[in-house]
Amino acid sequence: MITLTLNGLAVQVEEGTTLLEAARFYGFPIPTLCYNDGLRPYGACRLCVVEIGEGPRAKLVSSCTYPAEEGLKVRTASERVLKARRMVIELLLASCPQSKVIQDLASAHDVRQQRFKQEYEDCILCGLCVRMCEQQMMAKAIGFRGRGESRSIGTPFDIKSEECRLCGGCIYICPACQLRCTFTEPERAICGGCANISPPCVEKEQFGDMMCYMEPCVACEIEKK
Amino acid sequence: MRKLLSVDEFIDFRRRVHDEATGRGEELTLVVCAGTGGQASGSNDVIRVIKRYILDQGLQERVRLRITGCQGFCEMDPFIVVEPGEHLYPQVRMEDVSRIIEAALDGRVDEELIYREPGELKPYHHQGDIPFFGKQTRTLLGNNQKLDPIRIFDYVEQGGYAALEKVLANPDPEWIINEVKASGLRGRGGAGFPTGKKWELGRASGKRGVQKYVVCNADEGDPGAYMDRSLLEGNPHAIIEGLLIGGIAIGAAKGFVYVRSEYPLAIKHLLIALRQAHELGLLGEDILGTGLSFDVEIVRGAGAFVCGEETALMRSIEGKIGEPRQRPPYPVRKGIDGKPTVINNVETWANVPVVIREGAAAFAKVGTPTSTGTKIFSLVGKVKNTGLVEVPMGITVDEIVYDIGGGPSGRGRIKAVQTGGPSGGCIPASRFDLAIDYDSLAEAGSIMGSGGMIVMDEDTCMVDVAKYFMNFLKDESCGKCFTCRKGTQRMYELLDDITRGEGTPQHLELLEELALAVADTTMCGLGQTAPNPVLSTLRYFRHEYERHILDKRCDAFVCRDLVGAPCRAACPLGTEAWRYVALLEKGDYDGAYRVIREANPFPSVCARVCHHPCEDKCRAGITGEAAVAIRALKRFVTDRVDAAAYVPVGADNGGGKRVAIIGAGPAGLTAAHYLSLAGYGVTVFEAADRPGGMLVSGIPAYRLPRDVLENEIDALLDERVTLKLDAALGRDVTIDGLFEKGFEAIFLATGAHRSRRLDVPGEDAKGVYPSIEFLKSFNLRGQNLARGRVGVVGGGNSAVDAARVAVRQKGVASVTIYYRRTRAEMPAYAEEIEGALDEGVELVTLVSPVAVEQKKGRLTAVKFIKNELGERDASGRRRPVAVPGTEYAVPLDTLVVAISEEPETDAVAAAGIDVSKWGAVQVNPATFETNRPGVFSGGDAVRGPNTVVEAIADGKKAAVVIDRYLRGEDLRVPADVRLPEVFVEAAEVSEEEAAEAARAEPRYLAIEKRKKNFAEVELSLAEGAARAEARRCLRCDLEFTQPEREAEEVVAVGEEQA
Repeated sequence: MITLTLNGLAVQVEEGTTLLEAARFYGFPIPTLCYNDGLRPYGACRLCVVEIGEGPRAKLVSSCTYPAEEGLKVRTASERVLKARRMVIELLLASCPQSKVIQDLASAHDVRQQRFKQEYEDCILCGLCVRMCEQQMMAKAIGFRGRGESRSIGTPFDIKSEECRLCGGCIYICPACQLRCTFTEPERAICGGCANISPPCVEKEQFGDMMCYMEPCVACEIEKK
Repeated sequence: MRKLLSVDEFIDFRRRVHDEATGRGEELTLVVCAGTGGQASGSNDVIRVIKRYILDQGLQERVRLRITGCQGFCEMDPFIVVEPGEHLYPQVRMEDVSRIIEAALDGRVDEELIYREPGELKPYHHQGDIPFFGKQTRTLLGNNQKLDPIRIFDYVEQGGYAALEKVLANPDPEWIINEVKASGLRGRGGAGFPTGKKWELGRASGKRGVQKYVVCNADEGDPGAYMDRSLLEGNPHAIIEGLLIGGIAIGAAKGFVYVRSEYPLAIKHLLIALRQAHELGLLGEDILGTGLSFDVEIVRGAGAFVCGEETALMRSIEGKIGEPRQRPPYPVRKGIDGKPTVINNVETWANVPVVIREGAAAFAKVGTPTSTGTKIFSLVGKVKNTGLVEVPMGITVDEIVYDIGGGPSGRGRIKAVQTGGPSGGCIPASRFDLAIDYDSLAEAGSIMGSGGMIVMDEDTCMVDVAKYFMNFLKDESCGKCFTCRKGTQRMYELLDDITRGEGTPQHLELLEELALAVADTTMCGLGQTAPNPVLSTLRYFRHEYERHILDKRCDAFVCRDLVGAPCRAACPLGTEAWRYVALLEKGDYDGAYRVIREANPFPSVCARVCHHPCEDKCRAGITGEAAVAIRALKRFVTDRVDAAAYVPVGADNGGGKRVAIIGAGPAGLTAAHYLSLAGYGVTVFEAADRPGGMLVSGIPAYRLPRDVLENEIDALLDERVTLKLDAALGRDVTIDGLFEKGFEAIFLATGAHRSRRLDVPGEDAKGVYPSIEFLKSFNLRGQNLARGRVGVVGGGNSAVDAARVAVRQKGVASVTIYYRRTRAEMPAYAEEIEGALDEGVELVTLVSPVAVEQKKGRLTAVKFIKNELGERDASGRRRPVAVPGTEYAVPLDTLVVAISEEPETDAVAAAGIDVSKWGAVQVNPATFETNRPGVFSGGDAVRGPNTVVEAIADGKKAAVVIDRYLRGEDLRVPADVRLPEVFVEAAEVSEEEAAEAARAEPRYLAIEKRKKNFAEVELSLAEGAARAEARRCLRCDLEFTQPEREAEEVVAVGEEQA
């Protein structure tokens, strides 16, 4: 067992536990976007940062990837953490304002404005879909492409993957893309993307084929950019 | 090569190589630098010619040729060093080769081709004497010159593999690690982690017998840094030897060199070196019969900057996407394929054999206690000697930039260096005394990084620099972690807004907040250091950001959307120089005149005496050719066109209000003119008996003919302007009195008319005159004060004017200017100094007066002391320092003191208006308000002695401010960006014409016709010359005004087809 301090409280966890798991176990909430219990931690969204160490050596690390260490002093909600977290949320809000998940995060952290040029993206590249496809669906149909600004998720050369079984796992797990339907049966497939009382997608015969993440949602005629 | 089977055979082999070398003695050798930089400068051509010459002349037995990797002096590539003697011939052309070889064969030095400092005459015969090499400690780079990288024998001859021999003779990993620890060697990749400690951790990590790796990180991606490439190209065996020793120390049997595939020459040389080491039995299974195995594999990176980060680099070696992961676990615990891995930079590995061979103690002697050894920097940017420099840690930035780098390459002074590339920060000139090591750089807000050092001068915009690096980083961020990907992109956006004039103070606040958040929350070193360029420029150059945001000005003239045409942006009056030059080219002289006059009420004056900042910033001049002679073109136009061609448009919204202006110089008259146009009644009070201020009392008639000046002033005095002469402030009028008389605003434009004193004994003797008194006596009253032998002390325009006036006066035998620095530092216009020398004025530099000797109260001689140039002051100029014991006396009959002027503002201060301790009226620079409501001031009264065009600009702005004041509006004039708007067709200039065109030099009156008279010296250009000169204009305006014709044509073609 490893003993560490969480917000001043001395706690014990098993070796190999991450700081996020430890904090959640002991009841300290830490927001996450790219983390999912069923997938390997990735550390991409930076929402789960916590402060470790003391004095000039204190620093922020992503709690989802950081292993608990003996004697480590962890602060999950220090001023530095909250300030950084609010900036992360502001950046998220500037890119994907339509996401209900992100709106709720902003609301919960008292982020009431965003000061950047407004964008309307439908992906924050958290990689949940990629990991879902690889680790749970054993398909590896989609992956990351490019780097920096031009990084995107998809298949090589945008050619439809033969590995994809249209399972919809990627769509199910996506925190940002609230425009897509999250159910596989037509009668429950209301995504909120259109304002129609009876969504046109439900009427379409090929409904089953439309679930793939890779295609624009032709069903309700809202095009993916 | 026969494979060596035991350590003894290896020792024997090395001894034989050394004996052979000693037996050969010193042979005549030509050393040619053929690294990538050298090859780009043409060293392959030089090598070809050398080979041909040697073969043709049958000199194979007498001359050796050594083709080396980069030697560092890249500015002088391709160069040849002749050994023995180490004569360095820079920038060799193919036709020079035979001369150099012949001289070398005769044991001579070719005096014409040998190295000289740029712009100096003194030859340097020995490489070590050259200032560039003088202050370096070339432990690593020195070998690059001594060996051919594809010959293992050369490396062994230079002591190569001696460290390996030492290690293999008695393999003891603990000893190696302790030695490296004791040496204090720290990682040269930038972060400076102690190498010995890393190895110790690597050795302790993992179970016994587990596979471990050592990695050489040669993924060098910083813009402007290439020391790793040069080491790999120039001395690959040193890296191999380092890796071998490291492998033995930590128990790794495998090494990787991760190198960019953009470094083909480095890869080639490394491959050759690996093969040689294999053949000799130094790599592979059972090395030299010791039972140890080690091999090195080259992995080529595809060029992602982030792959220089160790966790990303390992993933790339594994064959996956080069993306970092969060540490811990650190690579020494879980590295490539989960195995313990020690990663060090190229330069670190190259230092390892030095540590082992020379011993830790000897290594630690160089440098500082916390940062030992040497560091290679790649010195690039606006510096004379670009190249690779290897210096001991602890050297100051100043020594690198000025002593080794030779100072600024252009006219502008150096304002900062950027270290550590995109992850680093800048160090401002004020901190150039910083002793460079890992810790001091971090404290200054930068990092050591891999050692890039980019020198920046006044033509570099720091906001643009931050934007450049952010643009680089937003493309090179791997994009995995959100704050790095979005943060760099958003920082770029904010910076881009600022450089386009769309920035607000909130931009700055947000930028800083974001930068700190990105540094705090990102996963790897790339993201954590990405905000450094922003944070460090904000820390040291915040005023530049504020200039961009508040004043919409880019003082370096870089940001396109704030500059427009540089000539217009540089002009304090905003004269559209490009536009009148373009109209002149078309032959529309009246149109050109109107453009000039619209901006400037004194066109003919400025055509003669303006210091033409437009020409200083002219792109034609900056791109290597000479600037367009804009002032001469203005002169041509104003000489030709009658002033009546322009009729100023007035308004009548003065409402009967009256303004008083004190001083009828350029500032006062300009303000009067524009206030009158706005409809106010203006009264100008002038202390002298005629208007013009310094234009008439200071500037001599041979530069500015009096009729030209009078005409121009007369044209400004309309019915709403009253001129009261012989009315001095304090004597004839007072501020309170003017307000009582009903004036509602007062503009103080009293100039700077008091000469500063020398402060030496005997200064009050007869025959010693302050320059203003001397010039005024002549210009206003026609008195000749100079006689006999005349001395003038000073180096500004006032000094040169005084000298040239004196030389024209009767009874003057000789005139000499005495200046404390050198001619290059004289603030006077170059053409004025030239003119003075032509007219027989003598110039003595590097002297200062220390005493005035007198007899019966009259000057007889002046005692001077000689100076030498000492340390640089804040302006980057070297300070004159008196040399004790060098005093000497010069017999003189007249001495004019022209060291500076200051405003004479006792009467202003008496009226309760704040003045500085040297007399300048204190105003709010944005609104010209003094501390007394309704009283404004501008021109030299505020600035101290300054240029005519600045005074006119102040007068113009004062008129606007006073108008706003009298209307009760906010005094602050919102900043606006002045971009070219009017389209003028471009002239068709053929490439031949453009290539042959040279700047039109003004014509001057023949020297014999200038004797003892005041006829104008500079003459107007002839029409043909003027129009040809106008065709040299690059027309920077077209970028903004050119209608988009191409797009129209495309549409037209499409329609036709349809």
